[in-house]
Amino acid sequence: MNYSMVTRLIAKDWYLQRWMILASLAGGAASLGIVCTGGKAAFMLGLILLVMVLIFVGAQLPVAMMVHERKEQTLSFVMSLPISHREYTTAKILGTLLIFLIPWLVLVLGSLALFAVPNGVALGLLPYTVIMAIEILVGVCLTIAVALVTESQGWAVAAVMVGNVGFNIVGYYVAHLPGIAQGMWGSSLMWSPTASTVVLTEFAVIVLLICFTFFFQSRKRDFL
Amino acid sequence: MNDLSVEFRGVSKHYPHFNLDNIDLELPTGSIMGFIGANGAGKSTTIRILMGLVHQDKGTVNVLGHPMPADQTEAKLDIGFVSEDMRLYGAATLKWHMEFVSSIYPRWDQAYAEKLVRRFDLKPQQKIKGLSHGQRVKAALLLALARRPRLLVLDEPTTGLDPVARKEVLGELMAVLADEDRTILFSSHNTQDVEQISDQITFIDHGRIIDSDDKECFLDHWRRLRLVMPQNTELPHLPGVIDVGGSGRLPVLTTNCFDPAMLSVCQDLGATIQAVDNMTLEEIFVTSVQHRRETLAV
Amino acid sequence: MHSDLIISQTDGRPMYLQIMEQIKLKVSVGDWATGQEIPSIRQLAMALRVSVITVKRAYLELEREGVIVTQHGKGSLVAPDASLAPRLHEDQLAEHLERAARLGELLGLTPEELASRLEQASGRSMEQLPKENQ
Repeated sequence: MNYSMVTRLIAKDWYLQRWMILASLAGGAASLGIVCTGGKAAFMLGLILLVMVLIFVGAQLPVAMMVHERKEQTLSFVMSLPISHREYTTAKILGTLLIFLIPWLVLVLGSLALFAVPNGVALGLLPYTVIMAIEILVGVCLTIAVALVTESQGWAVAAVMVGNVGFNIVGYYVAHLPGIAQGMWGSSLMWSPTASTVVLTEFAVIVLLICFTFFFQSRKRDFL
Repeated sequence: MNDLSVEFRGVSKHYPHFNLDNIDLELPTGSIMGFIGANGAGKSTTIRILMGLVHQDKGTVNVLGHPMPADQTEAKLDIGFVSEDMRLYGAATLKWHMEFVSSIYPRWDQAYAEKLVRRFDLKPQQKIKGLSHGQRVKAALLLALARRPRLLVLDEPTTGLDPVARKEVLGELMAVLADEDRTILFSSHNTQDVEQISDQITFIDHGRIIDSDDKECFLDHWRRLRLVMPQNTELPHLPGVIDVGGSGRLPVLTTNCFDPAMLSVCQDLGATIQAVDNMTLEEIFVTSVQHRRETLAV
Repeated sequence: MHSDLIISQTDGRPMYLQIMEQIKLKVSVGDWATGQEIPSIRQLAMALRVSVITVKRAYLELEREGVIVTQHGKGSLVAPDASLAPRLHEDQLAEHLERAARLGELLGLTPEELASRLEQASGRSMEQLPKENQ
């Protein structure tokens, strides 16, 4: 694996997506700023803004990074460079994920901060929050995988919808799991084995999605 | 070093509505091959297989000594590829593309790149999406030429260019060949360009190579004979004649293996040779294709 | 890049013949002196934007006719032959006469009619020549 080529490909994509990167940075900063002005309304507003940024980036970015290479017919330019299909796949997955991590980390760190603050959110919600934050990541990984393998806008949009529906279903299901539901509304942290299992499962799904992506990409016999 | 830059042996590729069938191709280093075929004949597919962008179902492909698609990463370091359906990134400038490509290829020649910018009348600061079709083609060619690749693979490089731009591009392609170790393969509809600058010519139709030879041989072997037949004489079937046109006492014979002895055969029949015409590459190609399609339809 | 020779796209004859004719013309009028080095095959191909194989063929034929000499690895030069220029003119004349004969046949002219046409043409051309050359 030629790491310098992968880095160059990622840098290329980041340059081309610079406006989206700036928008997600600005959006994340803005939502934090709004929340910090204090009060319940500000909190809701900031949260909504952040969620909007997350949804927008989670849906638009994979399409911009992967489907557009085919739609804008730049795929043959990229693949004529001295790279293998594996390096291309790696650069796309890494490049997209790293950009998405910007608003995502704002969410995670912001949430953790809210727990740490004296009159902040009750600690009982921490496990659930962590699980759902990772669940967002799972949804985006699904979109990335589908967008990269199918290079089709239609399928990518379908993946986004599946991710959204999945998020709601998982949210409901996990909230009612015995190990989670018990401590959710308490004021102290209760990290149960159930929580660990769920988190591990989520990471396993992410790894599986990435492996499937590489697998399907390697099976492709027509890159154009 | 291999003396063949490109070698295809028995390459086949199956698609639902199109088959590339048993392609054999040999491109000697230092020469330039023109690849002529109708739309959908298989030119682009063959070229993509050459670049490792499409995997063949059968057969071996060797490019610059590297088996494809297995060794495509190494091979592509030495190949410059431009295809008609290739696009650059619209939101970026030509300058950005030049910097991007030059950071990847060690043989990038900045002085030559700048010379090409002037010669092709391009503005590096301009965004690609603001360029006309011809300018985009020239920009892509610039990016391929300036890194001085050992093999240039061009799918329709002059299509859509104005006559001045075409002349500039042909001039640059010939300049590439000043170095004996560099090779060019290009496909084109423009048979005049192909006829002028190619050393080797290959015809492809419906997924099959129908002829491949060096250009002077093609032009030497094909002739149109215009005869004046004497009264009441039937023109018998002559060996080597693949088409008979004209009418009445003025048949026009087309042959693909011309030999001066044919003229004496005709004269022995009592015919007068009114003219022995050379054929342009376009006429040769069209006749080849029509003849093949007729023989297949029988 | 400007070239010493110009190739016409509309000339119906094979390109290698055009190249040969132009080179022979250059030699016969003295632009390329006997013994002078001429562009290499690749250089000429580049300048004319014509395939290397065509220029190579032209050079091979020219060498066979004794117009040029190619030294392996050292390029080509005009053959050091004093009688070259008039001989080239002779070749050209023979070619043109043959063509005229064929055309005369097609038109149905007798050899005498053809000869008188030639006399007329020669007379006209004499009138057009500058005084010193007569």
